[in-house]
Amino acid sequence: MCDLQAKLVAWLDGELPVDEAAAVETHVRECRTCRSQMTAYEKVSRDFDRYCEAVFEAGTERRTLPWIPVLATAAAAVIISFVIYYRTRVAPPAPAVPPVVRAQPAPIPMPISVAGPAPGKATRHKPTPPTHKTSGPPWEPWETSVEIAIPAESIFAPGAMPEGMRLIGELRIGPDGSVHQVRFRQ
Amino acid sequence: MSDDSVPLALPLPGWLAGSSEVTALYRELRKPLLRYLVCLGLSRDEAQDVVQDAFLSLQRHLASAGAEDNIRGWLFRVAHNLARNRQVSYHRRFAEPLDARLEALAEQATPEQAVLEKEKYRRLVSAVRKLSESERECLLLRAGGLRYREIAEVLGMATSTVADTVERAVRKLAEMCNV
Repeated sequence: MCDLQAKLVAWLDGELPVDEAAAVETHVRECRTCRSQMTAYEKVSRDFDRYCEAVFEAGTERRTLPWIPVLATAAAAVIISFVIYYRTRVAPPAPAVPPVVRAQPAPIPMPISVAGPAPGKATRHKPTPPTHKTSGPPWEPWETSVEIAIPAESIFAPGAMPEGMRLIGELRIGPDGSVHQVRFRQ
Repeated sequence: MSDDSVPLALPLPGWLAGSSEVTALYRELRKPLLRYLVCLGLSRDEAQDVVQDAFLSLQRHLASAGAEDNIRGWLFRVAHNLARNRQVSYHRRFAEPLDARLEALAEQATPEQAVLEKEKYRRLVSAVRKLSESERECLLLRAGGLRYREIAEVLGMATSTVADTVERAVRKLAEMCNV
């Protein structure tokens, strides 16, 4: 082992007096062993510095408890399931056979007082189009519809419709439970 | 990493606002101090407290003594002693699991390089744990940019002892890491 090898680290750190530093520098140029040692010391010092920086970075990160992400995921899953269930319950997906909904006459607050048949008497579902003529476009049956019988006199002004006429209202309801379309027929 | 991006974004304490000299020192030395304290084993919050206390002490010291030859060494010494008083957590940091840190250190281009990097740092940490306390502290202060004279002041050693300790510690690390 060279005598100057013990001064290599101090020389690398610039801690030696000028005359000693010059002597070490000259020696390192000529001694392959010391040159190799010096390279190793430089490298391990650099690695140590990098590691300290990593320790510092890790120590300054706000730590998240490991079970918090799991709980958050579980809570999100429960909320999503609930929302899906709730929406499905309000507006079920289109069944093969449209459901028949029996409903009371719609409590439409209109000032109409024309005598007619008792409200809510005929609530029915007709998947087939009516046979009588209409002035509008052809009466296409909807896949999913809800029929509500509403006395005509509760909608139209007195005398606007023949007495005793009933209208069948069909509502197309979207997946979110909202009414997308309403139409009436006799 | 720039000074502004230090994760420990310490707000400048109000009591520093009046002293431009101490304010400049605070901006310059807060990160090296925090790094040293975190590497010693203090938590983030503990390190912040110690740095604040150290600068508060500096403010009082300058007010009473008027001047200080080596403020950097003085601050590190005060912070070191304050950290010493928190012995509960003092040696925690180097005993913690390393995987998260090694993942960050081993961000290499290929998986093979990442494996080699991780292995290298595992050996390094294992070697650091085998160092004596004074060797480890000397290396940490040296990594913080302190001169041997300042390290000697912080640790209460002779400068020649610091030189020997640092040389011995670096040689041990190189041998144990097969560098």
